[in-house]
Amino acid sequence: MTTIRSAQVSLPTPTEHSIDVRGRRVRLAKAGAGAPVVYLHGSGDLGGWGRALSLLARDFTVYRPDHPGFNLSDEDPSVDSVLDMAFSYLDLFDSLGLDRPSLIGVSFGGWLAAQIAVLAPARIAKVVLVDAAGLRADIPTPDIFTLSPVQHAELLYHRPVLRNPAIAVAEKIQDDAGLFQRYLRNRMATAHLAWNPYFHDPKLPGRLHRLTAPVLVVWGAQDRLLPVGYAHRWMEALGPADGPVDGPADGPVGSGARLDSPARLEIIDNAGHLPAAEQPDTFAALVREFLSEEKPA
Amino acid sequence: VKIFGFHLMPYPDLPREHLDSTDSSWVTLTNALFDPRQGHALYQRYLAELVSYDRAGFDGLCVNEHHQTPYGLMPSPNVVAALLVPQTSCQIAILGNALPLRDHPLRVAEEVAMLDVISGGRIISGFVRGIGAEYHTFGIDPAASRERFYEAHDLIVKAWTQPGPFEWYGKHYKVRYVNPWPRPLQQPHPPIWSPSQGSGETVDWAAQHRYTYLQTYSDIATVRRVFDDFRAAAQGYGYTAPPEQIGWAVPTFVADTDERAEAIALPALDMLFNRLIRMPKDFFFPAGYLTLTSSTRVMGSKTGLGSGNVDVRQFVERGYALIGSPETVRQKFEAYQKELGFGCFSGIFQFGSLGHEQFLDSLNLFAAKVMPAIRDLGAPTPSP
Repeated sequence: MTTIRSAQVSLPTPTEHSIDVRGRRVRLAKAGAGAPVVYLHGSGDLGGWGRALSLLARDFTVYRPDHPGFNLSDEDPSVDSVLDMAFSYLDLFDSLGLDRPSLIGVSFGGWLAAQIAVLAPARIAKVVLVDAAGLRADIPTPDIFTLSPVQHAELLYHRPVLRNPAIAVAEKIQDDAGLFQRYLRNRMATAHLAWNPYFHDPKLPGRLHRLTAPVLVVWGAQDRLLPVGYAHRWMEALGPADGPVDGPADGPVGSGARLDSPARLEIIDNAGHLPAAEQPDTFAALVREFLSEEKPA
Repeated sequence: VKIFGFHLMPYPDLPREHLDSTDSSWVTLTNALFDPRQGHALYQRYLAELVSYDRAGFDGLCVNEHHQTPYGLMPSPNVVAALLVPQTSCQIAILGNALPLRDHPLRVAEEVAMLDVISGGRIISGFVRGIGAEYHTFGIDPAASRERFYEAHDLIVKAWTQPGPFEWYGKHYKVRYVNPWPRPLQQPHPPIWSPSQGSGETVDWAAQHRYTYLQTYSDIATVRRVFDDFRAAAQGYGYTAPPEQIGWAVPTFVADTDERAEAIALPALDMLFNRLIRMPKDFFFPAGYLTLTSSTRVMGSKTGLGSGNVDVRQFVERGYALIGSPETVRQKFEAYQKELGFGCFSGIFQFGSLGHEQFLDSLNLFAAKVMPAIRDLGAPTPSP
């Protein structure tokens, strides 16, 4: 059982780094000590750190890179898909000398985390998928490419205490040149990777059986960008939570269902698309516990 | 000045609830509102109107491509051009084929070559990217739009000018055998026009290739700046752009008096600018459609085309439209031509909600009382 330590204890604060990855600059924030954890941000994330990451940095070395072409990282001209970006991340892990990091991927970053873990399962310790894109379900979602910054902020957060300030920032985003540049840059980079098929890869479900690391799926109960039905879609695609699937054990694995290292699902109440931002203590406690387990549940 | 007549083929009979709302007229406006019987009547009327440009002595007529919108009923400009070829003897400018939206550029190379051969070499081939909304229509990555445009253009021009078969291995198109039949009649290829609202990249690209640059939907201050940019770009590429390489497209309406012209044209312009060209910013300029520099400027602005709250009278004053009596229009035209130096004029005589008689009266007045006076403006002066 984990305990949430008193807030008075000062939290680790990140340091900024600029990493050379095969001639490109990757901007990266880093804090903490311990086993490596790479946080893969969402497409609308403008580069912030946040309490949840500081809480995790008490027990882990947390890396928060900006994706190629996002925020303050250089574009990588070889990246035209999430699979391409996964290759680019393997280069980053090499540059950082990371030995079997765990991945926490949020939204678009969740899709990326799953793609990296499918591509190079031996390189990844554990995977946390948070309100993750990457799969398609027959559940209506808003098209974020048609949303203004204000509309996006409205849908992103559940709690008014976070939503209202986010809307206020969105209303004036063009007044902050640096922020606006990052917003436009991320929007462009996201379109290039997620415009069509919309935020998913039809081939990913058929490849998820290659993801052998333990997986924790975390979802905001009130997510309106990717409703919680998508969490169940992930669980279905990752394999049954208890026991083998029906049918012959040696049957085809085309559905991606896995018989081993089943995924676990945690739904966080009073949180929208970004549970780490809306419930940082709950989120960090769940993730810390999962990453600290000797064996998957 | 070479004089062209442009037609948008609008579908203006939309319900009051839509017209009075702020909803988009592109991409998401349900096609249940399109009445095919009404559409049939409109197409008959519009095709006749396009032919009337030829009858009135215009040098050419212009068609274009737009999708999923009552703004225009020409998703395929090549189909409309094909219908007009046997009914006309003037040039037909296709403004243009939206290259990045097509699955394969060689289809464009083939279709335009067919039209050119069938028409006896009367085709002008415009190439455009399509407006941002159309990247939603086809699910085409807007961030790859420019790349696809350039590569499709390069492939088409090579297919038209170099004997096939040859191989093409680009980033977006890979073809083992490029060898389209037919080849175009005009040599080395049909004139290529580049219609744009003035993006710096497009202006430079058109100047570099010595194509005719056509400015659309802009105030005179913008037209002036863009034409100056175009001429400067041409100088940068080592030549002086002649007037015939510079075109201006503008909604145009002529009536016997200024008052009458305004009374008829302003409501139609309101339909055009505030109802038919109306969509959210993220439809008009989807992510990656503009360069980072352009989108910083455009996405930060809350007014302008697409917003649905344009003051059309002020728009006319700023030169977004050419409206008035024959005398007024002639005077304005002469002043603009002298100032801006264009050698191609594309009058959009059909726009918004104009009726057939209104269109014809305006066109005939223009042809009788304006055209003779402006034709010789900007004619190339003989070299000393």
